[in-house]
Amino acid sequence: MSFTHTELSCNVNTNLFSKAAVVVNKQNHPEAKMALYDNKYWLLSHIRNSFISTDDTGMCELVMVGEAKQVRENFFSKESFPDPDESDEEDEDDAGSYDIQMDGDYTMRERSMTAARLEKLEYYSRKAAKMKHIKWESRKNVQDEPDGVEPLDELFVKKDTAKTQPECKIQKKSALSALIEQSSNIPVNPYTGYARFDGAGQINLPTKKYRIYLTMLPEQQRNYPLNICCVAAAKVLDLIGLILLKFSTNYAGDYVLKPAPHYGLYITEEDGEVDSDFPNLDPQECVSKFGFTSLGLVEHEKPCQPITVDSPVQVTSLLDGCKKRTTSSSRAEETKQVQNDMMIMDGHNKAMEAPLYKSYTVFIVNKVWWWNIEVHLGISSEKIEIDPITQKNSKLKLGKQGPVSHPMDSIAWCEETDGRGNKRTFRVVYSNSFGTGSTERTNLYSNSFGLSSPLQSSPSFKHYDFEAERNIAEEIVQKINLILELRSGQSRREYLALKDKKHLSKRKQFKYLRS
Amino acid sequence: MASRREQLSTDLANDDQIILASGGYDHTIRLWQTSSGICQKTLQHSEFQVNALEITPDKKVLASASYQHIYMYDLISGSATPVVNYEGTSKNVTCVGFQENGRWMYSGGEDGRARIWDLRSKSNQCPKSFDTRHGTGTNLSPINCAVLHPNQIELFMGDQNGRIYRWDLRTDHNVQLIPENDVMILGIDISPNSAQMASVNNKGMAYIWNLSSSGSDASTTLEPKNKFQAHSRAVLKCKYSPDSRMLITTSADQTARIWDSQEYNLQRELTQNNQRWVWDAAWSADSQYVFTASSDNFVKLWNVATGDREREYPGHQKAVTALAFKDAII
Repeated sequence: MSFTHTELSCNVNTNLFSKAAVVVNKQNHPEAKMALYDNKYWLLSHIRNSFISTDDTGMCELVMVGEAKQVRENFFSKESFPDPDESDEEDEDDAGSYDIQMDGDYTMRERSMTAARLEKLEYYSRKAAKMKHIKWESRKNVQDEPDGVEPLDELFVKKDTAKTQPECKIQKKSALSALIEQSSNIPVNPYTGYARFDGAGQINLPTKKYRIYLTMLPEQQRNYPLNICCVAAAKVLDLIGLILLKFSTNYAGDYVLKPAPHYGLYITEEDGEVDSDFPNLDPQECVSKFGFTSLGLVEHEKPCQPITVDSPVQVTSLLDGCKKRTTSSSRAEETKQVQNDMMIMDGHNKAMEAPLYKSYTVFIVNKVWWWNIEVHLGISSEKIEIDPITQKNSKLKLGKQGPVSHPMDSIAWCEETDGRGNKRTFRVVYSNSFGTGSTERTNLYSNSFGLSSPLQSSPSFKHYDFEAERNIAEEIVQKINLILELRSGQSRREYLALKDKKHLSKRKQFKYLRS
Repeated sequence: MASRREQLSTDLANDDQIILASGGYDHTIRLWQTSSGICQKTLQHSEFQVNALEITPDKKVLASASYQHIYMYDLISGSATPVVNYEGTSKNVTCVGFQENGRWMYSGGEDGRARIWDLRSKSNQCPKSFDTRHGTGTNLSPINCAVLHPNQIELFMGDQNGRIYRWDLRTDHNVQLIPENDVMILGIDISPNSAQMASVNNKGMAYIWNLSSSGSDASTTLEPKNKFQAHSRAVLKCKYSPDSRMLITTSADQTARIWDSQEYNLQRELTQNNQRWVWDAAWSADSQYVFTASSDNFVKLWNVATGDREREYPGHQKAVTALAFKDAII
């Protein structure tokens, strides 16, 4: 849109608008809308807004947006009978459109088609910069400057075709023939049919890119995902086939692979760890339905049956496979063995990661109050931190009780205590007498071992009861126990000794009863 | 397993001197591993289809004729994007080819102009062009096919209005002939031994000429040898085998046919159910195998002696219309 338009619209003469009808033609709209209105101010406002909203350069907006009030005042002062309603209206709305609302923030303009197109052009020109462009020039232009020009007759030299005539009578063999004969026994890759779902190099076709983690590879190699580009119209099963095609060509002959329906794609973390909480992607669904870009390829026991990796069935079968391997060492079992090794490695990894800080959201089960308090439970090799999540609208002020921290050496015990449904409660026992720090304070969260406690004789130990989702609770308990085993601090030893003593005394009591 | 790997690595080494490229309506160019049928690489093409493909004699560069452009891909570096872009044709570039030493390239386009592109000089300083006769109205008649005579100085072209042109690149003289009225010449080829020329048209006819030349300066003369109905529908391409003993014709009637170049009797028919139009063909250097490209999205490899389909190359999303193949005699 040119600048003249802007000027034109700024100097709108009110007399131009007849009372009867004015045709408003919205520019840049595919179908030019026509409307009949008799409200002059509305029309003026509408035209001004049409300019502002359709001008991609932003020039109209710059020029016109500040002067809405001015225009209106000018407008109504010229009219002999201003409509009182109109003059009261829109005091707050500078832009003055009835159907276009301007945001206060003018810098945040929406990306227009032009901007998108410019960006695309820039992308192509950047890509083209690597390309040499040779434009056709007619010969006349060049003849004027004969420097360094190779004479035409040197360029076009007649070759004596008679020399090529004598035909070799011996049957020669081409490289292709040799290759085809040589490779005639090599079985055809069963996944070649999936090649058509390969999205690499496609320009006009929508594609999706994935990072695929292959769980059948040994642990070291698993960290390097296979990058796959797939056409967006493919089904998940087609994607699996395409992955197997790439996999089988990359690791030709090293792995025995099954048909595509024997595999499932699972959502994975960025580091390639398969997220077993979710089932595999439905093989019959279109890939574009799922937004995940990191996926793990997992072999199933049976085709197309979602089995989560950590289910006990899988584990036992893995162990079976491991045993069988001693008698027969087929490929399939080898892969199972690999998977088994991987699980052991996973265990190692968890042990390695245990000392690292991780925060969980759990509930504190408290007998004093009848509700549970949501807290952040931060666990590291040094300490356990309990940080209440303050709820904004909560009337019950927990402000009195700030975050609590326990050095890991004060922690004595951790175990799952109870569970119903998907929830699990677990108990963290700590030594109250340990050190001096925060634990000296009265602790609203914790229950000291009261009458119900089996460890009556030691008031120095207190505990927390937490509640969390089953898998989170399991993870926390495993993590804390791993840390405790590694550290084996004073509190833990005392607690264990106390526990043993308790058992012993119980046994003594039994003895007494019996005798 | 080690031996298997070695085997594969030798295969790959062999594959280096074997280049099979295909392109078509899905706007991609694919390079294939000929032994396994696996796509080795997909090259990014423009937003337009691939009309023709050609590999330079030194096997270093692949040229792709597209709408208004000829793109050159560096086969040595394996870059997936073109390295050179020849522009200036106002419509589709329909055919492309190289002088045997790779000094220049010829192209023909739907704008009715054949062009010579100097590949050696940096700025294409010495271009040469040839215009066809006017077709309908003031437009030049679109060039559908072109072939360079083995003598490297005569370019033969076929156009939309059934004319065949012989253009002498040294003298710029040209000769025209019209074998049949109201047809389009869709394919043209000259046998590598320079003895014969074949042209095919959209009515399924094939025309054969004997070529002869007296002396080093005399131009080639054409003497009609044969004419026959090669296919029931349009013939899209014809290509002589490297040993000049056979001619393959590909057609819209879903077949490719191999003819002997003596009597032009049918030797083999290469067909498969639902393979649709067969667009292009390429011979192995020893004339024992032939590749075809068809609208069923497949490139196929056929054994000429048996007529068996030896390999399939799946991966294209749409019709495959162009092939380029180079291997070597070992």
